[in-house]
Parts: sequence; C-alpha cells; structure tokens
Amino acid sequence: MTTPESGEMLGVPKEDFLRSVREALGREDVPPAELYPRLTETQSELEDQAAQIRRRLEKNLPALLDKLAEMAALGGWNVYRASGVEEAIGYIDSVARDSEATNIVRSAQDVFDQIPVDAALANLGLKVTTVLRDDENSREALREEIRQSEIGITGADYAVAETGSLVILPRRGLSRLVSLVPPVHIALVRPEDILESLDDLFLLRRLEYHQRGGEMGSYLNFITGPSRTADIEMTIVEGVHGPKEVHMVILG
Amino acid sequence: MPEIKTKQFSAASVAAINDPKLRRALDRVASGFEVARLERIEEVTPDVWEVWKQEARDIKVHTLDHLDYYLDLLYTNVTAAGGHLHFAKDADQANEIVAHIARTRNVKVATKSKSMVSEELALNPVLEAIGVEVWETDLGEYIIQLAEETPSHLVAPALHKSKEDVAELFAEKLGIPYDEDIDHMAATARMVLRDKFMEADLGISGANFVVAETGTLVIFTNEGNGRLCTSAPRIHIGITGMEKVIPSLQDMAVFIRLLPRSATGQRITSYLSMITGPRRSDDEDGPEEFHLVLVDNGRSRMLADPALREALYCIRCGACLNICPVYQRIGGHAYGWVYPGPIGAVVTPNLIGLKQASKLPQASSLCGACREVCPVKIDIPRMLLDLRKKTAESPDKSERSAPIIERILAKLYVRLMSSPRTLAMAVTCGRFLQKVERIVPFSPLTKDGKWIKMAPLPPLSRWTRSRDLPTLPKQTFHEVWKKELSRDDS
Repeated sequence: MTTPESGEMLGVPKEDFLRSVREALGREDVPPAELYPRLTETQSELEDQAAQIRRRLEKNLPALLDKLAEMAALGGWNVYRASGVEEAIGYIDSVARDSEATNIVRSAQDVFDQIPVDAALANLGLKVTTVLRDDENSREALREEIRQSEIGITGADYAVAETGSLVILPRRGLSRLVSLVPPVHIALVRPEDILESLDDLFLLRRLEYHQRGGEMGSYLNFITGPSRTADIEMTIVEGVHGPKEVHMVILG
Repeated sequence: MPEIKTKQFSAASVAAINDPKLRRALDRVASGFEVARLERIEEVTPDVWEVWKQEARDIKVHTLDHLDYYLDLLYTNVTAAGGHLHFAKDADQANEIVAHIARTRNVKVATKSKSMVSEELALNPVLEAIGVEVWETDLGEYIIQLAEETPSHLVAPALHKSKEDVAELFAEKLGIPYDEDIDHMAATARMVLRDKFMEADLGISGANFVVAETGTLVIFTNEGNGRLCTSAPRIHIGITGMEKVIPSLQDMAVFIRLLPRSATGQRITSYLSMITGPRRSDDEDGPEEFHLVLVDNGRSRMLADPALREALYCIRCGACLNICPVYQRIGGHAYGWVYPGPIGAVVTPNLIGLKQASKLPQASSLCGACREVCPVKIDIPRMLLDLRKKTAESPDKSERSAPIIERILAKLYVRLMSSPRTLAMAVTCGRFLQKVERIVPFSPLTKDGKWIKMAPLPPLSRWTRSRDLPTLPKQTFHEVWKKELSRDDS
C-alpha cells in the first residue's frame, strides 16, 4: 500500500472519492459557476488591502492599545502596560519573584534585543535559557529544558485586539512549547504587533502565503488567556495542560 | 463503529429521567453554557450576531454544494505543504489508514485530543488491538476513557460525572487516595498525561475546520492538550468528516466569532491551532509527518438528500443540546450513539440507518429552540419532520417507528377529519357516550367533566397515560357559528 513518501496515499484514490461526492451532488465535474470571491483575489489586491489595514492601524493605535488591553484582560491575561523598557523588565522581574522560579526559558525573537531581560533575570540568580537549536543544543535537550522551567517568555507575531489574543508563527528560535509547557507564560507585545481584527490577521497571512509562493508555515497559533477546563461539574480550573498564569506586557 | 444502542432509546430515556444525579448535571450545563452564550450575543448585539450567522451559513451552503471542488483544492494544498491527505469511505477504512500509519512507523504510544469523528469510528480499540497505547488527553475524554464510557455531550464529554464519581474513578484506576477537590484532580491529569505527551510517537486530533485555500487544519481547545498532541509527537494525524472543509483562510474569522460563543459562551477558546503540514526544517518543534484523514462514512448519503444536506453544515458547537428540553432531561447517552441531542437525532439515522434509529426523530417537541440557537441556522425541526415522514411512510417496515395500531388510528383520524359529515356523526356519537359515562358516579375516566383522564381502550389509554384530553364540548364551534348566523339573519 505504501508508495514513495511524497505521494503516499491510503484509502480510496482521490478521483474515486471525488466521483462519489459528485454522484451524491448529482452532477458532473464542474467548478463552481461563480468562483468564490476570496479565492480569486490577486496578490496585488491583497497588497492594497494590507496597505489600507496598515494605515488604519497606525491612525487608531492609541485606541487599539486600549482595546487590546481590555479584551486580553477579559480573556484571562494579566495585562501590564509598560511605558518603557525598564518598566517592562521590572514587571517581568516581579512575576519571576512571585512565582519563585529558578529556571526560565525564552524564545529567540527580535523583541528581546529591545527588552534585554536576560541580564536582569540573571541578576536575580535565575537561569535563563534561549530556546534556539545549535550544535550544542539539540531539539530534545531544549525540550527537556523547557519542561524543567517555571516560566516561558515569548514575543508576539501579532496581537489581535478584537479577541485579546497573542498570535505566534513558526520560525527559528520560537518553539510553541515555550508558551505552553511552563506553568507561567509572559508575552511581550509591541505596538507594531497589534492588529484590530481577525479579518486583518487572516488577510495579512494570506498575503504572506502568496508572497512566499504558497508557503503558509507549519502553524498559526492563538493564545488567549490561561489553559483551562470546565470538564468536571462545569467548574473552571486553570492550568490543565498549559500554563495556569499568563501575563501580557504591552509596550506603550 | 461503536456499539449502537439507539433501539433502547425509550427505556434509556426513562432511566435517565429517573436519575437525580444526571438531572443535576444537566441543569448545570443548561445554566452554564446557555446563559454565557446569551451574554455574548448581547455583547456583540443580536443584529451583528444575525449577520455572522448568515455569513457562516452562506459559506457552508456554497462549500457543500461544491464539495468535490473544495476537496480537490484541499488535496492540492495539503500535499503542497508536505502533508498527506487520505480519503476513507467508511469507518473500517479510516481505522485501517490510521492503523497502517501506526504499524509502518512503529508507533508505541499515541496521545489524542478530542475528536467526535474518532468516537464515530471507534478508533481506539483498533489501535489498541495492534499494540498501541492510546491516551485521551482532554480532561473530559480522559475521564470517560478511564471509566470505559462514551461522551455524553459534544463539547463537555464527561458532564454526566459528578466530582465524587471522578474522584472514585481516579482512586480506583490510578491508585491514588480519594480526593474530590476539582483542582487537584485536574492537576493529577496534568501530571499523568505530561509524561505521555513527551513519550508519544503519534498525536491524533480531530479538526473543527479544514481550509482548502491553504491546506490548514484548525482545532479549538481550552486545555492546551490539542496543541501538545499536534506539536510534541513525531507524527500527527488529523481525522475529520469530509464536510468540515471551508474555502478560504479568511472564512475562519466568522467561524472563530461563532463557534466558541455558541459552544461554551467564550469569546474565543484559550488555544486555537491552525496547522499546515509537518514541521519545516527551520522550525523548533512539530511533527515530521502530517496526515489528514477525511471520512465519508454515510455523509454522502446526507449530501445526496436535499432535505438533509444542511445537517452537514453543523460545526458541532453543542448549542442545540444545551437548549433542548428533551436533551436537558435525558442527557446524551440515552440517544444511544455518538452524536446526541437534536442534531444527533438528525445525523444518527443517516449515519447508522433509519432502521436502527427510527425512534430518534421522535425525540423532539418541535419547539424550534435548536433552530434558533444554531450558529449556521440549520433547520433541525424541519429535518426531524422529514425523518418522521420517512419513518411513517417507509415501504420498509423495519424503518417505521409507530406500531401498527397507531398507524391504523392515524389513518382513521385522517378519514374522520377530512369528511365534515363523518366528523359531525362521530361528535354526536361521542357526546352520547359522554352522557352515558356521566351517569356513572365517581367515574375514573374524567376529571371535573372537562378532561378525559383515562381513555378506555389500550391504544388510547397509553396515549392518555401522560396527557389529559379535553372532553367534547356541548356545542362545536361550527354549531355556535351556525346558530349565531341564523340569529343575525332573523
């Protein structure tokens, strides 16, 4: 049954399956009479829309920062608005002290150049590991490091004001486990990360998908508040498989 | 496929209604999810909510009408992202696909995030039979897996269990001291499953949506188990029904707005993972292989039936369960198969055959609450009526739900009501019988002379066991009408 890796397909051959679907629909192999408008948008149309989004975001930034803070708090984030780098670092320090952490992991993202947390945390006597693979640090070793840590710190690819969500995309130096496995997660959000709505986000992602020749990246992840469940008697418990405590530090 | 107990619907319902613990649990759901859902709608305003619902429905209508086209597009894009898309015509084939992948990749441990389709397929026993350890990781699913039960709700699978039940279960199965603190029990599950996540070779998930434009699988979770299942093991298999495809990534916006609000009354779930293919060479984590299994398993039958196609628009939010006066009283297990509640009463007969499930379409008062709360505006009562019609008129006797005597009475009733003269005669006759009956002192048959409490003969008496019938009035409306008209004339 197994064929070479790229084309491996089990079960019913595609054409047979599609034929049975067509039979159920009672028609021949014809594309939709009216093509779905969103699928016919060209890259330049998406670029125009993206430019409009950018202009709108810039114009509305102060209101968007407020909206993000409001919605994130409703979503279960502990929101802290830092006016500057020092305030942000001060807050991270206080979270680290309160949670009595000894090990911290962080992703390798630009935001840490702007907010150098490592030195400050090291001053508190904490071990800070950057989750970035190299010759010395294998995936497995880093995974174990993440597991041993009490706090994970990440930046954001986007923050969506509409839902109060942090959005992260795959890249070198950003493991999803950093925001998921340690019991405390701290997210650093810069003003330029903020989007107004889900529509903005998906439009920008679709544009990038086109620009990268049909490469979407392996994931697009939203985080909104702590891990939670209400599976026993509808009682909310926070911190099931993911973090119990999440902090969003908004710069500006 | 899992065990089918739909034929015992009536007995199971009676047992459920008489279970006070279950009633308490169901009350909690009704007051929890539904109240929160209504709050969310007020927040966004009912007008906006209506616009979202229509947009979502339009997307589903379009996609299902061109399902072949979008499945083909999905195939192209899943493959382009380095993933594998497999089509399965039925449960056996879907299970065989997953088992084949597990066997050929030497899988020992699999973690699963919640998937109703995998319940529909009864996948776990198939994997266990080939020596794979399967761990459900959603807390509710983990509980019912330990208890060897099935989910009783689409989004809260273990709602029928009290905290005492869970504490006893954990004590018995995990060998830990009895502790009914809910926080502690969740922490226990976290601890047990944390090791499994890291140990697992295979992560299995369902999919709330799959996006044709980009080949993306979308899952909503609150616990974070879905994200761990799909990022820690070296293989990820997503399994879902073929109807879950939507055209564009942009379409996700409206479904994100509708699904969590309708399901649990949340603005958005804690985690939303949109996965496209396996990990790329630069990624820090993620599976080496990504497989998506799309199952038909009876769905093309629904697609082919114009009266039932809209059941495939369902996004499995469970809002129709939470609002349903029947579900609220009998819970999920009484429905006897995987999908409970109003939508289950429509879907189940189509997936396992009307013969097995002819009772389910009767499990509704047709009050229309399910239609009102549905985020994709599915007209469930209309479909239940359609199925009832099928159970009444099916040439195949085994698909009929009513006993022969009920069918004869119904036919007589039709005859009676379609001929004014026969009806008038029957009324006169009935009045006479009523008069005779009133002579009997302390008649057990009527109440205050206004209601028939106990009809005399078996088929009728069964009907009046739970209802009172009004007695025949001294004058019918027609008689009053005639009399008044003649008075006006004079």
